[in-house]
Amino acid sequence: MDSSNIYKKSGFDFSNQIRNNFLAAKGVPVPKATSTGTTIVGCLFKDGIVLGADTRATAGEIIADKNCEKVVNPSCCGAGTAADTEFTTALISSNLELHSLSTGRKPRVVTAMTMLKQMLFQYQGHIGAALVLGGVDVTGPHLFTIHPHGSTDKLPYVTMGSGSLAAMAVFEAGWKAGMERQEAIDLVSAAISAGIFNDLGSGSNVDVCVITKERTDMLRNYIKPNERVTKERHYKFTRGTTAYQSENIRKYIVDESITYLTGSATTATTAEEAMDVS
Amino acid sequence: MANADGGAYSYSLTVFSPSGKLVQIEHALAAVAQGTTSLGIKATNGIVIATEKKSSSILIDSSMLDKVSIICPNIGFVYSGMGPDFRILVNSARKSAQAYWKMYGEYPPTRVLTQEIASVMQKATQSGGVRPYGVSLLVAGWDANRGPSLYQVDPSGSFWAWKASAIGKNMVNAKTFLEKRYNDDISLEDAIHTALLTLKEGFEGQMTEKTIEIGIITVPELNSFGEQEKEGGETGRPKPAFRKLTEEEVRDYLAL
Amino acid sequence: MQYNGGSIVAMVGKNCVAIASDLRLGNQALTIATDFEKVFPITDRIYLGMAGLATDVLTLRERFRFRVNMYSIKEEREIEPKTLAQLVSSTLYERRFGPYFIEPIIAGLTDSSKGSQPFIASADLIGCLNFAKDFVVVGTAEDKLLGVAEGLWEPDLEPEDLFETISQTLLNAVDRDAFSGWGAVVHVITPDKVITRTLKGRMD
Repeated sequence: MDSSNIYKKSGFDFSNQIRNNFLAAKGVPVPKATSTGTTIVGCLFKDGIVLGADTRATAGEIIADKNCEKVVNPSCCGAGTAADTEFTTALISSNLELHSLSTGRKPRVVTAMTMLKQMLFQYQGHIGAALVLGGVDVTGPHLFTIHPHGSTDKLPYVTMGSGSLAAMAVFEAGWKAGMERQEAIDLVSAAISAGIFNDLGSGSNVDVCVITKERTDMLRNYIKPNERVTKERHYKFTRGTTAYQSENIRKYIVDESITYLTGSATTATTAEEAMDVS
Repeated sequence: MANADGGAYSYSLTVFSPSGKLVQIEHALAAVAQGTTSLGIKATNGIVIATEKKSSSILIDSSMLDKVSIICPNIGFVYSGMGPDFRILVNSARKSAQAYWKMYGEYPPTRVLTQEIASVMQKATQSGGVRPYGVSLLVAGWDANRGPSLYQVDPSGSFWAWKASAIGKNMVNAKTFLEKRYNDDISLEDAIHTALLTLKEGFEGQMTEKTIEIGIITVPELNSFGEQEKEGGETGRPKPAFRKLTEEEVRDYLAL
Repeated sequence: MQYNGGSIVAMVGKNCVAIASDLRLGNQALTIATDFEKVFPITDRIYLGMAGLATDVLTLRERFRFRVNMYSIKEEREIEPKTLAQLVSSTLYERRFGPYFIEPIIAGLTDSSKGSQPFIASADLIGCLNFAKDFVVVGTAEDKLLGVAEGLWEPDLEPEDLFETISQTLLNAVDRDAFSGWGAVVHVITPDKVITRTLKGRMD
């Protein structure tokens, strides 16, 4: 019954670690993984939850991606090590799907939260995923933050990531209970914008996700305050600028030319037709 | 030594009889033939799989019984034979579908999932200390590559693609009926009606929404890249192509 | 990353994509070879490049060749670039706590029945994907490449123009990177052919 894992053995593979430690001792450092410096927020409103995120991904001090998607799952935003947020939420969402298929019910937000915190706690913070989890289930709207070590908070408005202080300032000033949908979207956008403009780890555009009982709306690039201006001039090189030493072309369209060695073309065709009949 | 049925060769299922049969597999097929009738029909714009849901006593709460199972958003199963065996296969198929999703970021094509579940069933015909699964499956699925497809998997682990097929009790009659009724340009609506008519043949008792279960594949709309639209942006899951009909829907089809 | 050096860049053009790499293989500051290719064909229309530790580049090339071959046999179809990207990503994340020291780039065209759309993606060493619409870069000259590409790239370049843009981007960026250079190779993938050209570069 082990067929369930034919694609991948479950869990992590540590077999490179001995080599990597050896390399580290020899002075080859482990390269840096992409991390999302990030401002991510979430807030409660009258009919549900609004999540928000910026779209900058950084690797050290360079911007690796100017418009990445941090609302990794329609109900979850991620900060921290980008691959960790991506794969942790994918794993949990996969398990939730199995869970809901076998129970025949829609999954609850607390279930997702509990599964996430248990996994993160098990890995003792080595999985660097910091998440804002929000959703609406039969028991109503819920909003959580989950830290890499597995601790969680349940609050009406939350922020995470390097821009969390800037964003929280906006929430503290502007949040009130029972907001309308548009009010909440505007407040979340303002909080993310505060992160984008005041935190170096955050930047580019505002992504918003509105979750209500009925539906989830992904408003990708809801505000684009940092659009690149179109170039004034073309920087096209004239063809032939770059000299090349050799060229090899793999052609996928085969052109055929037929050279008849004996006889005329007509006799060759008839001979072929005659063969087809046989 | 030689006694009823397969004689000495029926003790160990991994031993061939001199005539080249694995008798336990034939017994498993007999278990399937005792199970309630299930059938599947492939239409131009989808697939229907349906089964009879019979409870041995009126005291059983049949709303808890599920014979048509969702495996992943694009694939569903129905079975004839032993319910407990089916549940094991469903769990294993669901896990397999999720493992595929985690690896490739999309759900498995119907053929791949069918192959996988068939190899689970095959293993039970060759391993020590186990018996074959006492079920035949009908697998209905949709994928971008091959469109809708319907497969049947037997206890031996063999599988075929069908335009329409029936398994379980009355399968011979049902298949003959389907052969008469089937044509290549049948629509999903017609297929659902044909499915109900086929089940009606040899149905014991009243056919109601409580005693019938139906699952359908509807071919999803594709965007300009030939991909399924996803729920909630790029990272979301595809909208389901497979779903079970609600009791209300089944009642409406029965009324027609 | 610095141990063997090397850089790769991929760009989207009009109905085509290009992927280019330098040719250096070093041992720290010592150049060992100047014909070390880091970009490999996966299918007719998908190329995979890997920058980083050379031993891992070669190991993973074989692993991915195996995985992709198994995929096409089992599914009876060629892998799509997006699916390959997911496969690469999950293969790398499997070793989250003992990673391969490489960063991959995938460049290709989608199946012609789906309109032959250009596709590029890159990932970090533990498989965090970056689906860019314009260009992706990895390797020791990553930061330089980003700067040059940001300036030179423009949308809807024809294959021949894309060749010039990607070649100039790579050559100019690796000229300021001690660990990359020593010639370059460029693949321009179009629906009906793949043009591979070897470029001359500074040999210091």
